[in-house]
Amino acid sequence: MKKIVDFFLSLKLTVTLLALSMVLVFAGTLAQVDKGIWTVVAQYFRCFIAWIDLPIFFPRSWDVPDIRIPFPGGFLIGWLMVINLLMVHWSNFKIQAKGGRRIAGIIVLLLGVLVTCGVMFGWGTAPVADTQSDAFWRVFLRLGRGTLAAVVLYLASLLLYRKRAGLVLVHAGILFLMVGEFMTALYAVEATMTIKEGETVNYVDHSQQIELAFTDGSNPDYDRVIVIPERRLKPGSVVSDPGLPFDVRVNRFMDNSSQPRPLAGIPAAMKANYPSYEGYGSRLFVDGVPENSGTGGGRNAPAVDIDLLDRTTGQSIGRYVLSLWFYPNFVNRAWDMPQTIVADGKPFTAYLRSRREYLTSPDGNAFSIKLLDFVHEKYEGTQTPKDFASQIILVNAGDHVERELRIWMNNPLRYARRTFYQSGFLPDDSGTVLQVVHNDSWMIPYLACMIVFVGMAAQFVQSLRRSQRRSS
Amino acid sequence: MRKIITHSIVVLFAVWFFQSGVKLPKESDADFHINAFATLPVKYDGRKKPLDTLARNFLTILSDKQTVRVDGKRVSAVQWMLDNIAGRPEALDYKVFRIENMDVLSSLGLEERKGFRYSYREIVPKIGNLESASRSAYGKAEKQRDLYDKQIIKTANKFYLYQNIMSSFEDPTFIPKEQLMSTAQRYMQLEGFSIPLAIPPHSGDPRWRPLMSSLLAGPMTKPDPVAVKFAAMLNAYRDGNVALFNSAVAEYEALVRAENPAALKKLSFEIFYNRLGAFMKAAELYLLVFIISCFGWLARKRGPIDAALALMVCAFIPHTFAIIARCFLSGYPPVTNLYSSAIFIGWAAVLAGIVLEAVYRKAEGMGNLVGGIAGFVTLLIAHFLAGDGDTMEQMRAVLDTRFWLATHVITVTLGYMATFVTGTLGVFYIVSGLFTKRLDEQTNENMYRMMYGTTCFALLLSFVGTVLGGLWADDSWGRFWGWDPKENGALLIVLWTAIMLHARTGKMVSNRGFAVMAVTGNIVTAWSWFGVNQLSVGLHSYGFTQSATFWLLVFVGTQLAIVGLGLLPSKVWRSGQ
Repeated sequence: MKKIVDFFLSLKLTVTLLALSMVLVFAGTLAQVDKGIWTVVAQYFRCFIAWIDLPIFFPRSWDVPDIRIPFPGGFLIGWLMVINLLMVHWSNFKIQAKGGRRIAGIIVLLLGVLVTCGVMFGWGTAPVADTQSDAFWRVFLRLGRGTLAAVVLYLASLLLYRKRAGLVLVHAGILFLMVGEFMTALYAVEATMTIKEGETVNYVDHSQQIELAFTDGSNPDYDRVIVIPERRLKPGSVVSDPGLPFDVRVNRFMDNSSQPRPLAGIPAAMKANYPSYEGYGSRLFVDGVPENSGTGGGRNAPAVDIDLLDRTTGQSIGRYVLSLWFYPNFVNRAWDMPQTIVADGKPFTAYLRSRREYLTSPDGNAFSIKLLDFVHEKYEGTQTPKDFASQIILVNAGDHVERELRIWMNNPLRYARRTFYQSGFLPDDSGTVLQVVHNDSWMIPYLACMIVFVGMAAQFVQSLRRSQRRSS
Repeated sequence: MRKIITHSIVVLFAVWFFQSGVKLPKESDADFHINAFATLPVKYDGRKKPLDTLARNFLTILSDKQTVRVDGKRVSAVQWMLDNIAGRPEALDYKVFRIENMDVLSSLGLEERKGFRYSYREIVPKIGNLESASRSAYGKAEKQRDLYDKQIIKTANKFYLYQNIMSSFEDPTFIPKEQLMSTAQRYMQLEGFSIPLAIPPHSGDPRWRPLMSSLLAGPMTKPDPVAVKFAAMLNAYRDGNVALFNSAVAEYEALVRAENPAALKKLSFEIFYNRLGAFMKAAELYLLVFIISCFGWLARKRGPIDAALALMVCAFIPHTFAIIARCFLSGYPPVTNLYSSAIFIGWAAVLAGIVLEAVYRKAEGMGNLVGGIAGFVTLLIAHFLAGDGDTMEQMRAVLDTRFWLATHVITVTLGYMATFVTGTLGVFYIVSGLFTKRLDEQTNENMYRMMYGTTCFALLLSFVGTVLGGLWADDSWGRFWGWDPKENGALLIVLWTAIMLHARTGKMVSNRGFAVMAVTGNIVTAWSWFGVNQLSVGLHSYGFTQSATFWLLVFVGTQLAIVGLGLLPSKVWRSGQ
């Protein structure tokens, strides 16, 4: 037991872990030449055991055997660092204050934690935080709030740890930053929102997940949507829903599919085993292809091959292929190909689409965004983009919000615990693509940055003064 | 007294050194008033600049130089460009196309020659070869292209750039009527590329326009009167009519001043900045500072060290001025690209050297040594990075935020500087310890203290800078940390400096070990600063260059060699540490 404790108490472990993380970060950088960022993040950083590809260290023209080397992954190194840090502090950084000073220290510490929480959860900030002016004041204000928390924490640390106050604060800040990143890795959600000029949209697309949606348009006043989530779309499974007059049997699920091409132009050998579909599949060729890896940067377009089954007979009433390629937001609104199905005398439209989440504020009220205008400016006489901006109206009837706002590069809108960023645009500048991020720990880096800064600065000033005293 | 005299001499020398070449050459009424022509405005790559800058950038791209040599005489960039756009017959014989690759040369039917520079007339007979080779090279995916393909593309791009710029100054006045339609179409196409816009906005047209389109009269429109004046200048120059040219230049300038006085602002100042050439001159002086200080430090002589410090300050002032001038001209904070980061790192390293000498009494010239060599090397790197043309380019949309450029970029760059200063100290520590007896116990301790202090600064700056970069990312697209290569590079510096400090706290390394680690820090920083860009992935993938990879490897090799020397047993160390 003592050996284990000593192991975690040693600075040698700290240095070793830091060195290992350098190797990992370096390998994770080189790997990005061949692989996409998210593949690399999963393979190297967000895992306990990373598998490092040997060829990444050599020029790609060399013939290096494709060997994978196991290596401590980001999570493993991170956890060991946390344990190491906490143990070293526990044993080496004892609280040095006694009596009144100690009590005062603890009170100030609690105050500091309170201020930190307040900053983190945005107490006292506007509910609709758009940005009218440059990043300058907005970010300074945030860093200023962070500094306030850092200074209170430093005072607490000074009361409790005296000379070592700075060091304790630095390490607390690093720990906080790591916790924040860990929470981001687990809980942050990124989605996109595609809006054409003049259109109002009240949902976001979770582009990493898909769903199969049937819309019953028989009622003139409203649509009924029945959604089958991705996890239910297993080959061979049959999905039954009271809202649908038929059952859905999944024949095949393709993780990625080719862009649809006219069936007539496909060589006979390729379409020999091609099922006879109804709808688009009868005219277009949709087939599974290997997943996109990295450098191409392309997103995977899953597709699903289904049979609609008659409830009473169990016989197929039609076989369909549905691809994400048919979904307009996937192709930046280049086309829209809803699959129409008539069953039981009712018209249905079906899409395989990105998982859709309807926007609601924390109070549960629905809200929507209307795009008034999209601006794409270039520098005169060049193709270099100067500015992308979306002029929008945010409407939340339940919360009595109706605001005209501007979202542009480096100037997002923060509303309802989400942040809306200018991210892309539709062909001919006819609309905008917003990145919508839901991350409750987004303020942690601001806080951690200032906590570490205050701690380090205090420590350096202190040692500078000590060395000056020594030399004089 | 002696000190005052040496300092006065140093200052006078520096003033003389910097003023040379600044004054414009004299022009009588019998000469073409090229100076006045050089000051006229043009908009190119999104920035208004004098024609002088356009000519210099353009010539730099073609030939890596800012002047052309003809029979041992130097021709200024602007005169070279004027000869070309006016259509003087001798213009085609300027040897300005630099082509170094043997295979490219042989496919153009050219012989290898000293300087590797060839004229338009020499290239043009085999231009078909260049076109077909470049088309096939462009046809390949980027990863499939071999060295020849890349060199062909580079050469072809130079050639197309030249042709586009020449076309944009064409005079279509005498084009036969039946070719008007096709010419108009060609001009429309050309305007889709980045070409110089020589005609400033005026009452007739609110936009900057290229000369050739403004001159083209449609069936319903007349040529732009401002453009007609510009064309008159070129015609007079082509015909060798000095008096007419000079009066046309004056009239054009007066017309622009009357129509749009704002278009002429900052132009003379930019010409002064161009002619001052402060960075190259400062680099030469920094090298001198380094040499003098080496002598002073080894011989423990105070005199040369003080003189060198004065010289360093004298070079530092124009260096500072030129950086401020760049901010004024471009409207951006000092660091916007690789070129300006090199200039800024050099500036900050020299400042660190001066501060070290001024604050730390036991520096004994070490500050001079670090500032001198760092200033020299970084400015030299900047000189080689300037080959892409205008170094004051406009920023793409996502990077165009002065706030983040002024905070994140500056802090990170200062972090690079601090690690380089530490690393340079480490190199001096190892070299002096191994080869000289200068590194006695006292010096050893002093040098260690300087390294430790700068490491602390390096950690602080690179940590804050890196986190600020993350905050920028969070503010731009909602992802604080995205494992982007450049972010990772900055993180490596933070981790390495953290290792250095922890290893020292844990008494795992001695002074010498610390110096060895500091030198290793140079490699880590060079990787982050330059190496990452060579991967050409991610958001920061600007400034990819073949030769940069080569020099980076050379640098890493030398640093590894010094690390190796640092690990030699104490027996062979002359200072015996």
